[in-house]
Amino acid sequence: MSTIETAATAIQPIEEDAPRRLVWWKALLADRAAAIALIVLLIIVAGSVFAPLIAPHNPFTSSRSVMVPPVWAERGSWEHILGTDGQGRDIFSRILYGTRLTLIIGVVAVGLGGVLGSLLGLLSAFYKSIDPYMMRLMDMLLSFPAILLGLALVAVFGAGAVPVIIALAISTVPDCARIARSIAVGVMEQEFIEAGRAVGLSDGQLFRRYLLRNCISSIMIFISLRFGQVILIGAALSFLGLGASPPTAELGMMAAQGRDYLLFAPHIAVIPSVMIFIIVLAANITGDALRDVLDPRIRN
Amino acid sequence: MTGSLLSVEDLRVQFKVGPHLYRAVDGINFSVERGRTLGVVGESGCGKSVTSLAIMRLVPQPPGLYAGGRIMFDGSDLLSTPDRQMRKLRGGRIGMIFQEPMTSLNPVYTCGEQIVESLRIHSNLSAQKARARAIELLDLVRLPSPSKRVDDYPHQLSGGQRQRVMIALALANDPDLLIADEPTTALDVTIQAQILDLMRDLQERTGTAILLITHDLGVVAETCDDVVVMYAGGVVEQARTADLFADPQHPYTIGLMAAVPRIDVEADRLATIEGSVPAPWTQLPGCRFASRCPLADEKCRSEPPPLHEISKAHAVACWKAPIEKVLK
Repeated sequence: MSTIETAATAIQPIEEDAPRRLVWWKALLADRAAAIALIVLLIIVAGSVFAPLIAPHNPFTSSRSVMVPPVWAERGSWEHILGTDGQGRDIFSRILYGTRLTLIIGVVAVGLGGVLGSLLGLLSAFYKSIDPYMMRLMDMLLSFPAILLGLALVAVFGAGAVPVIIALAISTVPDCARIARSIAVGVMEQEFIEAGRAVGLSDGQLFRRYLLRNCISSIMIFISLRFGQVILIGAALSFLGLGASPPTAELGMMAAQGRDYLLFAPHIAVIPSVMIFIIVLAANITGDALRDVLDPRIRN
Repeated sequence: MTGSLLSVEDLRVQFKVGPHLYRAVDGINFSVERGRTLGVVGESGCGKSVTSLAIMRLVPQPPGLYAGGRIMFDGSDLLSTPDRQMRKLRGGRIGMIFQEPMTSLNPVYTCGEQIVESLRIHSNLSAQKARARAIELLDLVRLPSPSKRVDDYPHQLSGGQRQRVMIALALANDPDLLIADEPTTALDVTIQAQILDLMRDLQERTGTAILLITHDLGVVAETCDDVVVMYAGGVVEQARTADLFADPQHPYTIGLMAAVPRIDVEADRLATIEGSVPAPWTQLPGCRFASRCPLADEKCRSEPPPLHEISKAHAVACWKAPIEKVLK
């Protein structure tokens, strides 16, 4: 065994190619729709994070001015920019707080369920021996509607954000596991997995650097779409009175409460619904663009 | 055969699929000497790829099963090597090149990153040194402007270029043995010749032994020192390349050579070998090739012929060998 000659040591400086790794966010901003969606999302997140500082009124206390329309409508006033609801609470303040809770529920539920589900799905594809058991388990979970699960959890723990989050997370797990598994099975069949083993990678390295990295962009897209769904199901649970209890603000619950006044004060239901719509849309567009940018095959 | 770098002794690999037991590799013997190239030829499904995977211990278990034999690599049996040590060997002392350059590189990492990865698994080079070495390796496999290409993703390269990267990857840690599983099958003919040239040249420079798996006799003639002909999971003939081409002994080898299309002979139909390979789950009492062999008789059908030497370094598994006496 002899060493490969080290004759070709005239190596060019590395600097010119180094910044390549950092440009993905530039590429993201170059996509106009994605840039707008990202900015909208950032504003929404900032608004909900700094809600206590921004909110002009206490979102939980009523005032005498009930069902005041938003400022652009007739009879509207700058006192309540987005008007007040049936109990006379300031809608703008409630939206800020409601978005906060909705985002927390959505992010935590999708985060927990998505990570756990994808991990189970990927493991299932990676270790074929556990695959049948894992998938039957997922089928069992899949046959359990989220709403029913929510009801059961609320019956045990009482109404509140936590049981809703758990119910939503559990309902996200099987979907994510199935999607992740089907993507991963395709990747596992590719020759580079074997080539990775032939280079001497351990199972852990192979799983992380070869399987996960090749599946993550597709999984991310699914999770970002799922985020929208989860927010909607969360809203549905709140609508049924399973989520946040009345004084707290939650977008789905606000929409549900506004339903009673839909004919004479539509803004009460419409404004939180529009907010849900904007959040879901922005999240989907951003997720889509992120995938395009992070996947080297699509990027070039 | 002491002193061989790799010697496969009575290797048996089986696959259990449903009710059938596939004897993919059924008691084969061969050895690869240091610094030489051994070609393994045979048609699809004859067990040659399984053999190469078996040496790397990459046969998926289940459904695969090492049913017997030994794979001696530099004095130790790979089949009883612990997994941890086996991982050190893979990509370290044994490199492997795959058939499909299009899919055998990880699409989410640059070529450089993949070579660096392999280097750093097997040695404690710093990131910078590993990168420099990766560029050096890409230069060694004659990839144009390696210092730029090192940051390219596999999809930015052509098939031939990717195969060069694969070779660089396989050679990264100065392996003693390079296993090339149909390295040129997916490439067009001119690129094929370049890649074979490159492999031969690299072998001269590094002294790596090569196990070349192929179905292409032309490739064998061009690159190999020795040849093993496989049929239905067994070795039917083995010889020095020149001897095999000059004096093929097994009826299957003769058939294979007759089936190579020739440009100087007018022919309406290409020559074929009659019949088809016996189903891999059937166990025949006699010679595997008997059902297709024009010379087969009762003995061939009832008793498996052992691989025996008919002249120096030329062994055949056929009752009729040497075949000259039969054809007279």
